[in-house]
Amino acid sequence: MSAPNKMTNDQGSSTSAVVAKGVGKAYEIYDKPIHRLYDLILPGGPRCRHFWAVRNVYLDVPHGSTVGIVGENGAGKSTLLKLLTGVTQPTTGTIETNGRVASLLELGAGFHPEFSGRDNIFLNCSILGMSQEEIKERFESIVTFSELGDFIDRPVKTYSSGMYVRLGFSVASSVDPDILLIDEALSVGDEHFKAKCLNWLNEFRERGKTTIFVSHDLGAVKSMCQNVVMMDRGEVLEQGDAEGVSDAYLKRIKERGNERLSMLNRGETEYPRWGTGEIEVTAMGMFDDEDNSSHVFQTGRPFAVRLEYRAIKDTQQPVFGIGIYRSDGTYVNGSNHHWRNEPIALEQVVAGEEGTVEMSFESMPLLAGQYYLTTFLYDHSKASPTAIDHREHAITFEVVDGAKHQHGLLYLPTVWRMERRSDSGEVTRTESGS
Amino acid sequence: MFGTIRDLITHRRLLRDFVVRDHKARYVGSSMGFFWSVIFPLLNLAVYFIVFRLIMEVRFGDKMSPEASAMWMLAGITVWTAFAETISRSTNSLVENGNLIQKVVFPSEILPAFLTVSSLINMLIGIPLVLLGVGFFILKGDTAGFVEVETASLAAFDGQIIDPGEDRTLRWGISMICLPLLMLAQGVFTLGLGYFLSTLNLFLRDTYHLVGVLVTFWMFGTPIFYPVQLVEQARGGQFAFILDVNPMHWLIESYREVLLFGGWPPLHFIGPFLIVAVITFGVGATFFRSQKARFPDLL
Repeated sequence: MSAPNKMTNDQGSSTSAVVAKGVGKAYEIYDKPIHRLYDLILPGGPRCRHFWAVRNVYLDVPHGSTVGIVGENGAGKSTLLKLLTGVTQPTTGTIETNGRVASLLELGAGFHPEFSGRDNIFLNCSILGMSQEEIKERFESIVTFSELGDFIDRPVKTYSSGMYVRLGFSVASSVDPDILLIDEALSVGDEHFKAKCLNWLNEFRERGKTTIFVSHDLGAVKSMCQNVVMMDRGEVLEQGDAEGVSDAYLKRIKERGNERLSMLNRGETEYPRWGTGEIEVTAMGMFDDEDNSSHVFQTGRPFAVRLEYRAIKDTQQPVFGIGIYRSDGTYVNGSNHHWRNEPIALEQVVAGEEGTVEMSFESMPLLAGQYYLTTFLYDHSKASPTAIDHREHAITFEVVDGAKHQHGLLYLPTVWRMERRSDSGEVTRTESGS
Repeated sequence: MFGTIRDLITHRRLLRDFVVRDHKARYVGSSMGFFWSVIFPLLNLAVYFIVFRLIMEVRFGDKMSPEASAMWMLAGITVWTAFAETISRSTNSLVENGNLIQKVVFPSEILPAFLTVSSLINMLIGIPLVLLGVGFFILKGDTAGFVEVETASLAAFDGQIIDPGEDRTLRWGISMICLPLLMLAQGVFTLGLGYFLSTLNLFLRDTYHLVGVLVTFWMFGTPIFYPVQLVEQARGGQFAFILDVNPMHWLIESYREVLLFGGWPPLHFIGPFLIVAVITFGVGATFFRSQKARFPDLL
């Protein structure tokens, strides 16, 4: 046991933990299962299409680093992780790993429901490649970590799903790997145990071991990893320090979101619209800090909504307004140019007049999520305002949050103060304005 | 083929763990537990005995006593059960353990292997049952003169298969020492088929269902419940070729010779069987190994 450890440590300074060179993975897609058999025994193949889940990946992960892999669903993150574990073989390229690799993909894979937790620990450890001595040595700590208590001697089929993953995690974490691979789908039960797992992960990293972490949660990746690899459609788009790649990832999400949302927003007449039509809103759009039309915005950055209008008939006291709703229909905010401390009053608009109305924000206060706009154009000359051009659900937009400092619906510019009084009467005050 | 053997030796501990678990799993939660290994072949025997011997009155030679023919059946059933069970379980073993293959770096060689070993061990529980039965008839024969009658009828029934000049008395013999060899040969043959079928099943899931049917065909094509000469004589010997191409017939006859009559396995049976077993293992293991890297993708 000591000899291989020493070897790994020696290598630690000189070589990398994981080196991938030109790695690609193609899955064969057969229209009919029997064609797979034909390909095996008959000439004239292949009779399949190839799907490249991962293409041309180069990675060099130094010992002791924590690397995050981000990407949207289907970007090839999980396939890459499987390749690094060695579960599947790459179609092209080579993968070299130095040290014992373990992954937290397989929590509880291979548990037999009829057997007790105790029996399953032994077999599972054996499956994960631990020697008999190692298992005996670590058995107690596995049981303690899982917090199963007396349940350890009950059949696994009687466990709750939380207990099941707890046992799975306890076994997987006992492998004591040099390189740990974690998938985002790591759900380990209740908050208490989750905290315990995170704690374990932190300790693991502090011991100078290598971690590769796959997620589409940018916040989690940024908080854990110095280096981030961004994947898209099987390829590595960008890799480097966490800050830089995260920004690129955000930008990417914005682009993709825009594509998707402009599809959503295309059908202009599909949303409910009513009113007298005396003034027509001819165009509307949302603009980011660089004045580009966009449907995806970032928390804390400026943005604006702009409407173009043309008057068809003479109209008294028209008022433009905008309502913001969250995708579930929650009314977030509504305002117009008239109900203000310094109102803009339009006494009369004459037929043929054209113009632009803009509502702008210094800083987008919404947190990540999907929202929509409703635009109002009402005639306020009468006792109760009547609709001239009301467009319900006119624009759908998305907000992404790079910082993830706050949770919920709105970013609130909070101030935090702390006063610490020590025994000796010393007082320290700290304040955080943002 | 040698690579597979080497891998099995490397992972012998894991293999052992799987065998142990399989044996525990067989009877976990059942109140009779281990005794099922004894009861099961006996129940099987009772059913086949009643159907073939008492209802259909299949003739085991002219005067072979029902008791003696029961022992003859039991020997066949014990061997066949181990074989058939392994084949059908092995075929599905990769699919069944897909979770392991897809998520852990796992030596999948041991899956058909542990099933083979597990069944052989289970068979090892059934074999003393046959030997005890034979012992019982030896005792009974001594007092009732049963053996003399049987000797005559068995000699007649065996006809060309076994030399009529030989002693056909049910007895225990020193030849029992070659039981391990027979079991090893059986294991090699079964494992070879297991490797082949489990791999094929990944390409074509129908294999599993097909194997279920074919095993039944194969069972009825092997003289287990009926005497060998019935096949030889049926329709003027039209079906005799079945015996010439059926390795399981050769194996079971070898077992019977050892277990029932205390003789050595006939060379013309065990010789060809050994050759077929090694070839089967070679083909099966090579096929398995050539496709192993693709298993996670095929599941």
